[in-house]
Amino acid sequence: MRAADAMAVLAKHRGDAVVVCALGMAANEWWAATQSEDTFYMHGAMGFAASFALGLAAARPELPVWVINADGSLCMNLGCLLTEAQQAPRNLRHFLVDNGVYQTVGAVPMVNRGRTDFAAMARAAGIPRAVAISDTAALDAALPELLAGDGPVFADLQVEPDTSHRAIPPMPYEGPEMKYRFGRALEKRLGITVFGPQGY
Amino acid sequence: MDVHDMIHDRLRETGVTLAATLPDDWVAPLIGRIDRDPEMRHVPVAREAEAIAVCSGAFFGGVRSVAVMGATGLLTCMGELATLNLRHQIPVFIVASRRGSIDDHRVYQEVQGRRTFAVLDAYDFPYHVVERTEDLGCIPDAYEACRLQKRPFVLFLARKLVKGAAA
Repeated sequence: MRAADAMAVLAKHRGDAVVVCALGMAANEWWAATQSEDTFYMHGAMGFAASFALGLAAARPELPVWVINADGSLCMNLGCLLTEAQQAPRNLRHFLVDNGVYQTVGAVPMVNRGRTDFAAMARAAGIPRAVAISDTAALDAALPELLAGDGPVFADLQVEPDTSHRAIPPMPYEGPEMKYRFGRALEKRLGITVFGPQGY
Repeated sequence: MDVHDMIHDRLRETGVTLAATLPDDWVAPLIGRIDRDPEMRHVPVAREAEAIAVCSGAFFGGVRSVAVMGATGLLTCMGELATLNLRHQIPVFIVASRRGSIDDHRVYQEVQGRRTFAVLDAYDFPYHVVERTEDLGCIPDAYEACRLQKRPFVLFLARKLVKGAAA
């Protein structure tokens, strides 16, 4: 399955979920598929999109939260699976775009490529609803069940590495604009206060 | 009521309802108070930078949060503090031990004592050291300064505050 096709299937099933994207390929592909503004696209802190999403999910248990992570990012913070398991956020879905390479730096192979079983690692960490999916039809069929019931859910989306080195444009917002767009979107949608009366 | 209860109380008065934590021995008692507070969501983490990201995500949920850690752990977070919090201007309030001070006679803390403030100054991350219980009333102001400056703010707990006078 191509990453872009996986994103299209995810977008089809998104519903009202708020999304947090790891930097790089995952964020660029999600932006290309959705142009979604109520998504937080990490510009840095590689590895920590899952922790950011966990914080949002813990703060707003009524809000469906997705994290679209990437294998290179997850490997920089595998401990997030332990934290996620202990917190057991019912509203969190963790999707891993697993292409086995560091895509944005030229599809450089990842460490231990082809031998790492991320879904097994998630289960071993204590997230029992963890699956691996490698084709779009199976993803399309599996998502209704993965989105039903309580999270956390971990889905390793095994996609093909893109060796064409095509440049997928990132979303066009700077870091602070991303903050205010995302925060204002959540204020409007949830009726919460993210920023104070003076705007900070 | 001891100093750890007092810090916990000041955090509650500030409106903090979520804490992401990883202990060293100086902040462990505070983390214990947080863990026993049913009105404060406690997120123990496996690495300090996770606490930074958890608190950053909670910010967008409209929840006031604190990251609690030791000074050594704080130094491990600099990349994330720069590329997440500085990059996106996301405030994150950190309570950390002030390790390596002249009354902290632990050889494995001496570098933290000499270099932590210099590192924070280089990033232009504000900080404040609390040395006496009488000064704990600064916590709401420190929290507001963190929000206002839209960046990490570190509130350091001095040794004599949390461990008493003897080194």
